Amino acid sequence: MSEDFKNRVRVRLYQLFLELGRCPSMAEVAADLRCPVSEVATAFQGLAAAHMLVLQPGSGEVLMANPLSAVPTPFVVETQADGATRSWYGNCIWDALGVIAMLHGDGRVLTSCGCCGESMTVSVGHGEVEATPPGIVHFAIPARHWWDDIVFN
Amino acid sequence: MLIFRSEEHIDKWCKAWRLPRGATLSVEQAWKLAHTWYGDRMSPDWRRRTVDEAHELFRSLGLTSEFWRLA
Repeated sequence: MSEDFKNRVRVRLYQLFLELGRCPSMAEVAADLRCPVSEVATAFQGLAAAHMLVLQPGSGEVLMANPLSAVPTPFVVETQADGATRSWYGNCIWDALGVIAMLHGDGRVLTSCGCCGESMTVSVGHGEVEATPPGIVHFAIPARHWWDDIVFN
Repeated sequence: MLIFRSEEHIDKWCKAWRLPRGATLSVEQAWKLAHTWYGDRMSPDWRRRTVDEAHELFRSLGLTSEFWRLA
C-alpha cells in the first residue's frame, strides 16, 4: 500500500472527524474515498504501526486520532463556529488543548481535577490560556515510555 | 496527562496510583506544547517527527530534563 494512499486516508479521517463531531467508521471513510473497506482497514493498521493512529483492539476502528478521541473522555473540547458550539473529546489535557491548536481558533476544555474531581475549565482565547480554577498539568510517564501503554498514558 | 488543582493533589494522585511523580507544566507551558505539537496535524504534508525533531521541539520549550528524552 502506498504512503500516498495512507496519507489520503489520514487526512480525510481527520476532516470527517471534525465535520461530523465524532469519529467516522472505517466504512464511512471508505465510502467517502470510494474505495473498499478492506483498503481503509489496511491503511488504518499501517498508520497505527507508525504511531499515527491508535486502533480499538477488537473492531480495528479508530480509538485515537491524536489529539482526538473516538470515545468519551473527561476532556471535552468546545469551540464556537458560526454561532454554533462544536465539541469533541481529547485523549488527555495535552491533546484536548491540541484540538484547539489544530483548529487554529479559540475554545475551551471542560475537565476536572485528576485527584478530587473538582470541575475545571481551561479556556484559550486570542492565543492566551487560562484555567479556572487555576491548575497544574502533570505528565506521569516519561517520554520514552509514552507508547508502552498509550491508552493509560 | 491530567490537570490538577494543586501540587498537593498531584502528590495524592501519585500516591494512590503508586507512581513516582512525573513532570509538571504550567497551563501556559502545556498550551505552548499543544500548539507546537499539534498545530500542523491537519496538513496533508504533516509527518511524524523524528526523535531528534521532537527533542528540538521540547528543547525550544525549555523541556530539557531526562524525562523528555524519547530515546
